[in-house]
Amino acid sequence: MSAQVEPVRAAAAAEPAAPMVDVRGVRKVYRRDAEEITVLDGMDLRVPAGEFVALMGPSGSGKTTLLNLIAGIDRPTSGQVVVAGTDVARLSESELARWRSRNVGFIFQFYNLIPVLRAVENVELPLLLTSLSKRERRERALTALKIVGLADRSGHYPRQLSGGQEQRVAIARAIVGDPSVLVADEPTGDLDAKSAEDILALMETLNREFHKTIVMVTHDPRAAARAHVQHHLDKGVLRQD
Amino acid sequence: MKFLPFVLKHLRRNWIRTLSTVVAMAICIFLFCTLQTVLASINDMLASTSANRLISRNAVSLVFSLPLAYEARIGSVPGVKRVATTAWFGGSLPAKKEGKADAGAETTTDWSSFFPNMAVEAEPYFQMYPEFEIPPDQYKNFLGDLKGAVIGRKLANKYGWKLGDHFFLESFIPPYRKKDGPFEFTVDAIFDTDPVKHPNTDTNLMLFHYKYLYEATGRHIAAGTFNIEIDDASKAGAISKAIDTQFENSDAQTHTETEQAFTAGFISMAGNLAFLLNSIGLAVSFTILLVTANTMSMAVRERRTEIAVLKTLGFSSLQVMGLIVAEALALGALGGGLGLGGSHGLMFFLTHTPGVKDMLAGIGLSELHLKPMIAAMGFAVALGLGLAAGFVPAMNAYRSRITDMLRTV
Repeated sequence: MSAQVEPVRAAAAAEPAAPMVDVRGVRKVYRRDAEEITVLDGMDLRVPAGEFVALMGPSGSGKTTLLNLIAGIDRPTSGQVVVAGTDVARLSESELARWRSRNVGFIFQFYNLIPVLRAVENVELPLLLTSLSKRERRERALTALKIVGLADRSGHYPRQLSGGQEQRVAIARAIVGDPSVLVADEPTGDLDAKSAEDILALMETLNREFHKTIVMVTHDPRAAARAHVQHHLDKGVLRQD
Repeated sequence: MKFLPFVLKHLRRNWIRTLSTVVAMAICIFLFCTLQTVLASINDMLASTSANRLISRNAVSLVFSLPLAYEARIGSVPGVKRVATTAWFGGSLPAKKEGKADAGAETTTDWSSFFPNMAVEAEPYFQMYPEFEIPPDQYKNFLGDLKGAVIGRKLANKYGWKLGDHFFLESFIPPYRKKDGPFEFTVDAIFDTDPVKHPNTDTNLMLFHYKYLYEATGRHIAAGTFNIEIDDASKAGAISKAIDTQFENSDAQTHTETEQAFTAGFISMAGNLAFLLNSIGLAVSFTILLVTANTMSMAVRERRTEIAVLKTLGFSSLQVMGLIVAEALALGALGGGLGLGGSHGLMFFLTHTPGVKDMLAGIGLSELHLKPMIAAMGFAVALGLGLAAGFVPAMNAYRSRITDMLRTV
């Protein structure tokens, strides 16, 4: 979709064997007063390009922390997180923000749409950071909404949409910048079974037809079953099934 | 600019809160601009005074007069160049007699058509007020006409008076009223002033012979004040003291001060008006700052998730901070614009409403309008308040980590 991501892709493509996500020996320790809590302990994970991976595990196992590290919204205490050829831990805050806008699409459990913006404006939001003209931004946002099947709801505010529709708008917002990786934190966790099924089908389509690498955290075994690979985390350690 | 719609949409998020904040800000700027305009007008009036002129009045109060015999004694004080007897007439046009030569029996007075008018001892007075530029032939006519009046250009334009026109005035001060009706005047001269040399001199003024007032009232009145010209402004203090010392043991003690101090005292009557008005302005501004800061903090606190989302999407911390500051500035700009409009509207109302405008003119505030400099200052204060109110929440948003903000929801 975007010409801006081409150099990043080209770099990734130069090393065919390089995975899209490469987590090496990552530790993540949180401090609470004097106490240290190790959330991830020597984590290794490789996700090839075009893969659809599900991360499962009990609460507190470190799934979301790992997802945040992959998305570049958190930093490891030690170890490397290389995504789309970039070691995200080495980037400054502003570089990391720019990198996120070009390489990662984030799908939240509670959609997190901006309530004062219409669906198309929500989708357009990441494109405000590009040099695209207003018309181009609007066209791309509408295309993304079309992909998720909500072109006819572009003028609706989030409060006028169902949960499933809101999540589809959120997915459109995640893919509008044509990122290399989609990370989803329990994307069906707040949806009824039917809507959840629709969202998972949409994610499968994005993976299959648009070759998006997807890393999804979920508690739902049915959702995890849609992924190509399932990883189970337990107390900060990965166990591959 | 592409972020502007985003900022404005957020302002519409909570209409009531935004509106109340904007109105609060508008009231602050309205008060600031209105008070500053009044102060500026007073300062202009004070700036039109001369350091070479003193005014001697009754030490008890301006309400009481001084014996006419004081004039010669004041004139004998070393450093005094000339003295003119004056009396603030306080006259208004009779409601039904304007422009008629015959005063008739009716004595209804239109107090709403009030303008400054004074009885002066013409020759010394006009010599010490060179800013009143009167054509020599008109001045000569005036000197030879007991019922003659010198009126300022603005006053002439206001009532459409021309040379030779007659009008009547009735004073609200009992000793200055005649039994046989209002005073009749003839426009003998119209004065102008150099707007470059004397930009603050008001021409909404009428002056007439003190002798006319004195004789028409049966020679029972005394002097309202003595206007005094001195040869050295730096000796004003010493000369004032010398004058007042002369009358220290008399029934009517004098209080002599510079024209500027006299005017300031006349306007404020009591206390420091400038300090009072500025204090009110400052207190209101500080209160509004707290209100706006609280509003912005609440608005940002409610949007922690959205801020986290923006950062996740790739907005840098600086950009997020900029959006919040822009929102606060927009609040300031809206409030400032509304406040400026309100202040301008009030000034327009005051200076265009019959009765009110004349009353203001009567105390020398005929030039009451929102000056561009004050408007600019008011708008800058509004933006400053917005910036100050938005800065702390914006800094918090700047510093907050995405994971922390998402977790606290």
